[in-house]
Amino acid sequence: MHLVICAKQIPDPETPPSAFKIEANAVVPAAGISPVLSPFDAQAAEAALRLKESAGDTKITVISMGKESAQAAIKQVLAMGADEGVLLNDDAFEGGDSYTTAKVLAAAIRKLGDVDAVFCGRQAADWDMGQVGLGIAEDLGWPCAIVAKDVQLDGGALVVQRVLTDGFETVKEPLPAVVTVSNELGDPRYPKLQQIMQAAKKTVTTWGVGDLGLDASGVGAAGSKLKLVALAQPAAGGAVQIIAGETPEEQAQGLVQALRDARII
Amino acid sequence: MTTTEPERPASSRARVVGSWWLPTTGVSVFGLITAIELDRTGATREIFFNVQQPWAVYVMLSVLVGLMVYGIGRHATLWAIGQPTPGLREQVAKRLTHLVRLGLAQEKIRRDRYAGIMHWCIFSSIVVLTFVTAQVAIDDDLGLHFLQGPYYLFFSFYGDLFGVIGLVGVSMALYRRYFDDFHRIRWDERLEDHLIIWGLAAILLSGFALETLRITADELHQHPDWAPWSFASYALALGLDMFKFEEHQLLAAHTWVWWGHLVIAMGWLGLIVFTKLDHIFFAPINAYLLRTDSPGRLTKIENIEEREVFGVGQIQDFTWKQLFELDACVRCGRCTAVCPANIAGQPLSPMHLIQDLKMHLADVGPAVQKAGHEGHDVRAVSPLAMVGDVIKDETLWACRTCGACVQECPVMIEHVPTIIDMRRYLVMDEARVPATAQAALENLEQRGHPWRGTTFTRTTWMEGLGDVPIFDGSQEYLYWVGCSGSLVERNLPVTQSVFKLLREAGTSFGVLGQEETCNGDPARRLGNEYLYQILAQQLVETFKAKNVQRVITNCPHCFNTFKNEYPQFDGNFEVLHHTEFLAQALQTGTLKATHPVSSDVTYHDSCYLGRLNGVYDAPRQILDFVPGVNVTEMKRNMSRGLCCGAGGGNMWQEEVGARRVNHVRTEEAVETGATSVISNCPFCIQMFEDGIPAVQPQEEGRMRAFDIAELLDKAVFGEPAPRNG
Repeated sequence: MHLVICAKQIPDPETPPSAFKIEANAVVPAAGISPVLSPFDAQAAEAALRLKESAGDTKITVISMGKESAQAAIKQVLAMGADEGVLLNDDAFEGGDSYTTAKVLAAAIRKLGDVDAVFCGRQAADWDMGQVGLGIAEDLGWPCAIVAKDVQLDGGALVVQRVLTDGFETVKEPLPAVVTVSNELGDPRYPKLQQIMQAAKKTVTTWGVGDLGLDASGVGAAGSKLKLVALAQPAAGGAVQIIAGETPEEQAQGLVQALRDARII
Repeated sequence: MTTTEPERPASSRARVVGSWWLPTTGVSVFGLITAIELDRTGATREIFFNVQQPWAVYVMLSVLVGLMVYGIGRHATLWAIGQPTPGLREQVAKRLTHLVRLGLAQEKIRRDRYAGIMHWCIFSSIVVLTFVTAQVAIDDDLGLHFLQGPYYLFFSFYGDLFGVIGLVGVSMALYRRYFDDFHRIRWDERLEDHLIIWGLAAILLSGFALETLRITADELHQHPDWAPWSFASYALALGLDMFKFEEHQLLAAHTWVWWGHLVIAMGWLGLIVFTKLDHIFFAPINAYLLRTDSPGRLTKIENIEEREVFGVGQIQDFTWKQLFELDACVRCGRCTAVCPANIAGQPLSPMHLIQDLKMHLADVGPAVQKAGHEGHDVRAVSPLAMVGDVIKDETLWACRTCGACVQECPVMIEHVPTIIDMRRYLVMDEARVPATAQAALENLEQRGHPWRGTTFTRTTWMEGLGDVPIFDGSQEYLYWVGCSGSLVERNLPVTQSVFKLLREAGTSFGVLGQEETCNGDPARRLGNEYLYQILAQQLVETFKAKNVQRVITNCPHCFNTFKNEYPQFDGNFEVLHHTEFLAQALQTGTLKATHPVSSDVTYHDSCYLGRLNGVYDAPRQILDFVPGVNVTEMKRNMSRGLCCGAGGGNMWQEEVGARRVNHVRTEEAVETGATSVISNCPFCIQMFEDGIPAVQPQEEGRMRAFDIAELLDKAVFGEPAPRNG
C-alpha cells in the first residue's frame, strides 16, 4: 500500500496573543517563534502510521506545499516513521486559497501514481478552513471521510470512525480514498532518536509547478477563487459576574440561570 | 533569628561522632602505658593452649581463601560485561580522600547516629579481633613469640575490650532488627541478615567462653596477677570458678568451644562473598570509584550521533562501575527512606531498584558474557526487557533527581545517574514518554521553552519596570531569567523582585530578553540527552558570542546547568544563584533591608541549590538580614531537605501513586506553624502554591509561598507585608 500524508507548516498556534501582529492584511510572523507542523496534520500522520503498523508492507509519503522552511515539518513526519518526503515549493504557489492548494496537492498525488489513501488533518490550525482534504478528493474523484477518530483497513476499503457533535459514525469508503483526521484520534507518537537522525539524513524531493504539469496561472494567488478582504485581531477582554446565593445550591441555580440568559446552555 | 537549629552538613557533624575514637584510643594508650609501667616480664601464655591438631585451622583457612577468590571472581566476570568507566585515573587524591573519609571513617553511616555507633562497634571489633587472632598465629607459626611481657597483658586487655565493644554493637543490631518496629532494614529482609548477626554474636560469645575457660583452668590460679588484664573474661572466670569444675572438665569444654568458635568464625567469614557482607570490600572500593565532580552533573553521552543505543536498555549497557556498585548494596533502605517519591507512596524505591538490577545481572549476566565470548548477539540474550519488565517505566519516571538517595547511601551507590541512563533509553531509544512529559519535550524542540500554552513572552515581566538593560557584553553580569521566570505567571513577580534588587544594589548587569532560550535542563532530566546537547551547544555559543563571563540565575536548575554541566560543552562561566548574590550584597551593604517584614516563615531548600550544590547558608543569611522575620526550620532541612516534587522533569508529569510529593512537603511546612514558606526556586514555589490549598482547604489563615527575593523586596523597598503574614 502507498499512503500519503499532507502536512502543512503554520505559524505557531501557541504564539502568545501579545506577540501576534497584523499588518496590511497579513500576519506578521512573531520574532523568535518558529513555525510548526499543524497539530491536526501530526494526527493525520499518526493515523497513517497506525494503519501501516496493522497493514504491513506499506510506503508512506509525506507531502507539504510551502517554502524551504517547510522541510522541518516534512522531517518531523519522516522522523515519526514516514518513508519519503516531497516538498511542493514554487513561487507560483504563493498566496493561494484552499482550492489552489488542493489542486496542487492532488497533482502531486497523481504524479506519485500508485497512491491508495490520503491522510489530511481535519483543518490547518492557522486558517481553520478545513477544505483541502475535500478539495483533493474532489480533484481526484475519490471518496472522502472527514473528522476521523479512527481509521482501519478492511480489505480494499477504509473503515473510518467519524466524530459527530453528538456521537460517532462509522463509514466505509473504498480505496483509493481521502480521510481527514481529528484530534480525537489521540496523541501523535514521539519519534525515537534513531528515527530523527535517519530522517535528518533523508533527501526530500522538491517539485515545482512545471514538475506537476500545472499552469502557473491556475495556482497560487493567480488561481485563487477566494479573496481576502480584511484581517483583524479580536480585542481580548473579560468581565466577571459574581453569582449571588447563600448556599452552593442557590449559587448553582444562579449560574445555570445566568448561562441560560446568555444563551450558552 | 532561627528557632529550630538547622541540621548541619556532615563536615561539622563528623567532629561529634568522630570523638568516639577518642575514648577508645585513650583507654588503649592508658592500658599500654600501665602495662609497660608494671613491667611484668615473663607474662605470656601457651599459644594453641590445649588444642591438638591446630593445622586443621590452616586447612579451613585455605578453603576460605579459595571460596573468597572464587566468589569475587564470579562477581568480577559479571562486572566485566559492563562498559568502560571513564575518568577513574583522574583525581586520584580526591578518590583517596573519599576512600579514607567515606570508606574507612564511614562518614555516611554516621548520618544515622544509632547506626553510626552500632556499625563502628562491630567494624572496630572485627578489625581489632581479626588483628588479635592474626597475632596469635604469627606469634606461634612464625616462631616470633612476641606475645610476652607487658605487650601480652595489653594484648589481653584490648582483646577483651573490643570483644565487649563488638557485643555492644551486636546488641544494638539485634535490637534494631527484632524490636524496632517497621524499620527500614526489614524492607527487604533475607535469611542472610539473620545468619550474619547471630553468627557474629556466636563468634563473640564463644570467644569470651573460650577465654573464660582458659583463664579458669589456667591463668586464674597460676598467674592471678595476669588474669585481670582480660577484664571481661576474668570476671566471668571468677564466676565460673565458683562452680569448682575439675580441670579436665574445663579443658574438655575448652577444646569443644575452641573448635566451635573456629568453625563459626570460618563459616561467617565464608559468608562474606556470598552475602551483603561483601560490602566489607566493596564499600571502600566504591568510595574510591565515587564520582569526584558535582552530584548535580549528569554524564554526557559523547558522539551521540554515532551511537547505536543512546541510553541503557540492557544490563551490559551500564558501565562496570554501575554494575559493581549493585553488589555493594547492603539493603539498609536509607535511600528509600529519604526518597520523596517513596515517601509519597509512588512506585520508586531506590533500594529495590538496585536490588532488582542486581538480580537481573545475576540472571542474565552469565549468558550475556557467554554470548559475547562466542560472538553471538548479546542484545538477544535477555528474555526480559530490563527497562519495562525488570524496572518499570513508572519507576523511572517517578525519580526527582533530588539526590537524597545518593547522599544517604553508606556504600556510595549513585542511583540517579543509573535511573537517568535508563530514562534516556526510554525516551531516545524507545520513545516511551508520558504524554505530559512529551508535550514539554516537544515544546522545548519547537518553542525553546517547556511551558506549553503560556500567554506570556520573555519580555512581559519587564512591563512597568522602566528601563531594562539588555546584555551587550559591557556589563559585568548577565541576569538569566529563565523560562519559568518569564513565562509562568506565578514566577513573574520573583523575576521583577530580583531585577529591582539587582538595580538597587547598583549591579552592572543586563538581560537577554527575547534571545533567551531554554538551557536544556528539562530535556536532560527527562532523558532526551540529544535535545539537551543541541540546546546547550547553542546557548554556550550565544554566551561566548556575547562575551558572557558571569551569570546570575533566578532558578537553581539553570544555576546547576550552567555551573556544573556547561563545562562539559566548553562553557565555563562564573555562576551565582540570586540568593548568593543577594546575600553578598547585603553583607557588603550595597543592599539594605530596613523595612520590618513581621512574619513567621519556614525555609525550604530546593534540591538543586541545596543538596546538589551545597548552598545552604546564603539564603539563611538573607533571612537573618530581614528585620522582623522569625524562621522555624522544617523537620527535614538542609542536606536532609525533602524535594518539592518537581525535580527531574516531574514539573511536567502527572504523578502516579498514593499521594503527591508537594502535598507531603507542604504538610511539613505547615507543621512548623509558619505563615509563609520561603524558597528559592520557581518550581518549588509552583509546587507549594499547588500544595497549600490541598493541605489547607480553608482559605482563612492559609500559608503562602514566596521566593526569598520577594521577601527581600519587601524588606528593601517597604512594600506591604503579605496577607496573613
